[in-house]
Formats: sequence, C-alpha cells, structure tokens
Amino acid sequence: MRLQSKNESETIQFGQRLGKKLKPGDIVCLYGELGAGKTTVTKGIASAFGIKERDITSASFTIIAEYDNDIPFYHIDLYRILNGETRELGLHEYFRPDCVSVIEWAEKADNEIPDTPIKVRLKHAGDDMREIELEGLEL
Amino acid sequence: MLILGIDTSCDDTAAAVVEDGKKIVSNIVSNQNEIHNKYGGIVPELASRRHIEMITPVVHEALVNAKTGIEDIDAIAVTYGPGLIGSLLVGVCYAKSLSYVHHIPIIAVNHLEGHICSYYLESIPEVPYLALVVSGGHTSMYRVTGTGNYFEIGRTRDDAAGEAFDKVAKLLGFGYPGGPIIDQLASKGDPQSIHFPRSFLKDSYDFSFSGVKTAVFNYVRKNLQTSKEDIAAGFQAAVIDVLVGRSIEVAKQLGIRRIALSGGVSANKGLRDAIKEKTSDEGLQVFLPSVDLCTDNAAMIASAGYYRFMKGETAAFDLNPKAYLPIGSANG
Repeated sequence: MRLQSKNESETIQFGQRLGKKLKPGDIVCLYGELGAGKTTVTKGIASAFGIKERDITSASFTIIAEYDNDIPFYHIDLYRILNGETRELGLHEYFRPDCVSVIEWAEKADNEIPDTPIKVRLKHAGDDMREIELEGLEL
Repeated sequence: MLILGIDTSCDDTAAAVVEDGKKIVSNIVSNQNEIHNKYGGIVPELASRRHIEMITPVVHEALVNAKTGIEDIDAIAVTYGPGLIGSLLVGVCYAKSLSYVHHIPIIAVNHLEGHICSYYLESIPEVPYLALVVSGGHTSMYRVTGTGNYFEIGRTRDDAAGEAFDKVAKLLGFGYPGGPIIDQLASKGDPQSIHFPRSFLKDSYDFSFSGVKTAVFNYVRKNLQTSKEDIAAGFQAAVIDVLVGRSIEVAKQLGIRRIALSGGVSANKGLRDAIKEKTSDEGLQVFLPSVDLCTDNAAMIASAGYYRFMKGETAAFDLNPKAYLPIGSANG
C-alpha cells in the first residue's frame, strides 16, 4: 500500500498502526534518504510495544539499540556501515522468533536479512510531506 | 590515592592514571581514526576486536607513563555503559581480571558521568550548576547538585548534535569524524549567508537536531554550487544557537549561575567561543574542559571513579556492561 504523510505526527501514527500489527519474530526494514523519516516511523512502531517515543532516538551512533521489553525490541541503524560489511555485525543473533527488529538503512544488509521482512520505503515529498510505501503487511 | 581509569565504550581504547580525582598522571587514548576513515564510522565488531588488541598495550602504557606499577593502584574505574555492548565488554572484563588477580577494588562508572567529571580534572564548578554533555551519541542537559547527583532537564529526541555534524560532513563529501572538519570549514564561511532552522521545542527543554540535518540535506540537493564553507558555517551556527541559547535560558530559568560543557562537541571552536561570549554577556560562569579532555578519555573515568570510591561505592565481579544507561533522575 502507498500513502502520503503530511507531517511528522502523521508519520508517527503510521508507525503506530504498523506496530500494532506486528508479532514476535517480525523484522521491519526501513528504506529512505537522510531525513526521510525512518527514525520517526520507528518511534511509532516502538510505541506499540510500550516504548516511549522520546526514548527512541537515532541509533546511527550506537548502531544497535536494545530495549528489554516482554517482547525484546531492537532498533538497528546501518547508516555508518558499508555494503557488505554487515556480516561482521552478527545481525542474525537479533533475528529471533521472540523479538521484533526494526532496521534503518536495511539495504546495506539485504543478504543477512531473512527473506520475509516487512518493507517500508520513505521519500521526501516537499517540506514536511513524505511518501510512504508499505510491503509485506496489510494495515 | 591512585585510580586507574579504563574506557572502551566506543571507538577509542583509553586508560589513564589519576591522583586524587584531579591530577592526571598519565592519559593514553588509542586513536582508531584510521579504521573509521576506511569504514566511515564505527563498526561495532571491528571496534571490539580492536579494543581486544589495544587494551593490554594501552593499560601498560598508562602505567609506564605514570611511572607506577599495578601494585600501586588503589582502585580501577571502568566504564560499564552506555555504549556499544561488545566494546564495553572488553574494558569491563579486563578491569575485572586485573581486579581479581591483583586484589584491587573495581568501580563501575557511567560514561556520561565521566564526561561531567572531565572538567573536575581542571576546576570543579560550585554546585548547583548546569551540565551540558554534547557528543556523537548524546546531547543531554542536567542540573548538578553534587558529585553523583544529576537531574535530567532535557536530552535529544532524535539525533545527537555530534551525529548531525558527522552526517552533514558526510553529506558534503568529507570523512569521519565530521566535527573538526565542519568546524574548520565553518571558520572560513559566512554563518549568515544561509539560514538553517533552529529547533527550540515549545513543550520541553529537549533538543532536536534531525530537522536541521534534513534542512541541510534538502539545501545541498537543490544548491549544488553553494560553497561548502557557507553551508558548514550556516549549519554550525544553527546548532550553536540552540545549544548556547537553551543552556543560558535554562540556567536563568532555574537561577543557576554556572554552565559546564563537555563531550566531544565541546571541542568545537565555534561553540567554545560562542558560549564564552554569551555567558559573559549574561554574567554567568562557564566551565570547559581543555580540548584533549573533551573527546573520550579514561582520565575523566578515573576522576568520576575517585568520587564514587570516596563514597565507598565499589562493584562486585557480577558487574556487567549496559548498552542503555541513563544517569540521574528525570525532571529535577
């Protein structure tokens, strides 16, 4: 499905709707340029797992942020990683059936990600508007 | 009282010997920038592997430079969070092993508290004061009412300020770390020629640097010919306005007379100049660590550890690193 978000709060709401449909073991891959709204969508998804929006910040620096919930939640951000270098990360250890993982810049780890992820593509569409494309899940 | 500090929380392996929490006897930091220039950032597994290679020589060097032996060390202070878990594990396990073999007490130190103690090595601000920690991974503001007493006033909701510097540098085609590169470019550009948005959130003292990053991204995409110096200067001015403006506003609001800045971004010359000038205009006192103590180092960890040790706070062998480890209580 495709939709348009007018601003940041609509992008968060999209993330919340998506988060509510997720179940343990799901992996969400986020694609989009700098500032496209990947972390914003992650805030929405995480809130469906009881994590406060404010507690989800960019994970570009730490690369993997772990949240020890009933359902462990991993926020992974591969911005700094070069294509092909992800094997070093041991990402497969995070893709367990009891956990949910959200991966920003997922294209950098396409080979490591199990082949049934949910994909979200984000595009700048002028000012605060964003185009959002969701694949692998119906809202 | 000699404390050996060890920090492996991020990219550098660091060890230092500090006397009585303030006198730096030795301070060794392995610069891993040659790895980062190749990979464009921190690759955690690579970083932790590198820490494993570096930890023994770096600790040895710190002891040799201090003209002391491990038997003269009174306690070992080690960073146990926040940071990359694989990297933290190296420092924590090494400190535990030293502690076990040589019967030396171990002190668990939060990396953020270490940054707050980085100016204690030079001068200790009178409490209460406002501490602003600005680095690649953090942008947080605390009211400090005593060593170990921190009340969080605000923190970033998205990108850390240092991360925005790194991302803008990469956007302009430069390497890592981006802070010094942008600082250098900005000094040659006109900060007024391009106006990037300043994000002052209305409902809280939290920070947000994602918007200015996106604005630079959009600007660069549409204006390919603009001088990189002017873009850097405009971007840096926007970040500095928010950091300096907000800290002065909060200090005045809370009736605090002193502001202390630390973390890697506090090495930024533009920021140092601006906060000195603006605090002086307002009659506030400012504390800045010297530039080599702004970035990650173990002397600040040893200093923070000293104050914990004086309170009798030592850790047991079940000490484990924590990736997420905030300090202080919220909204004090």
